[in-house]
Amino acid sequence: MHILDIAQNSLSAGSTRVEIRIREEVKADLLVIEVADNGRGICGRMLNRVTDPFVTSRTTREVGLGLPLLKEAAERCEGNLEVHSEEGRGTKVVARFQLDHFDRAPLGNIEETLSVLIGGNPEVDFIYEHWVDEQEYRLDTREMRQVLGPVKLDDPFVLDFLRQDIRGGLKKIGAARFHKIMEVLR
Amino acid sequence: MRLKELAERLDWDLKTRNVPAENEVKTGYASDLLSDVLANSIEGDLWVTRQSHLNIVAIAVMRDLSGILLVNGVEPDPDTVEKAVEKMVPIFQTRLPTFEVVGRLYQLGISGER
Repeated sequence: MHILDIAQNSLSAGSTRVEIRIREEVKADLLVIEVADNGRGICGRMLNRVTDPFVTSRTTREVGLGLPLLKEAAERCEGNLEVHSEEGRGTKVVARFQLDHFDRAPLGNIEETLSVLIGGNPEVDFIYEHWVDEQEYRLDTREMRQVLGPVKLDDPFVLDFLRQDIRGGLKKIGAARFHKIMEVLR
Repeated sequence: MRLKELAERLDWDLKTRNVPAENEVKTGYASDLLSDVLANSIEGDLWVTRQSHLNIVAIAVMRDLSGILLVNGVEPDPDTVEKAVEKMVPIFQTRLPTFEVVGRLYQLGISGER
């Protein structure tokens, strides 16, 4: 949900490359979500205010409630939100959460989020990296395009394959689980 | 009143098949913040919420809640239902919003007193 919102900000900012990185550090009880793009960036004056819901929703359309809500969610889970941006170069949003905090919403359906982003913007380069400690799952649409040749990324068969690959890949690395909370349910 | 009877009178759908709802309910708690429920619910509470993910089952188990009522017609996630059935936590669903359903519960004698 949050990831889709933030990535959509990147797309509205004219990005041609969006990198989404998720790091689950089980021992450190830390979840880091990072969305970096090469869009037009946010000017210094605006940057200080992107997490203020009143300012942002009223003065621009490109940055909606995504950032203020993500900030609130992260802080509620003993984490924080950082937004780095350089005009003309791009923006990087980094949200940290306590991984096993009860108020942390699950990551949700990542394969759906990515297939919506990729299927809706087949010309944009998406890089998705997800670590659970040392284990990694990686997806890069630039590599996929080379393999696919003339077949486009928004082809329904490609998207279906993509969803399955993501689902399988994330399962393999043990991603998106509530590690300690699940012990209660064992 | 027994949970099952409340469900019948207020027309809730049971989402966890074969999980009995025979227990007597006297108190309830309404909140969507799981840490708040963990801190402020008491054993036997009926929990009214619109959160639908797996963690609600963990909270209900940890706090020994009598059941979970999902408001606004929210559907529980499939893994939520699966785990709730396994742990015998009844999950109900109502189309009503929290304020309305809590009012009706209060009229039927369910209190929020701590």
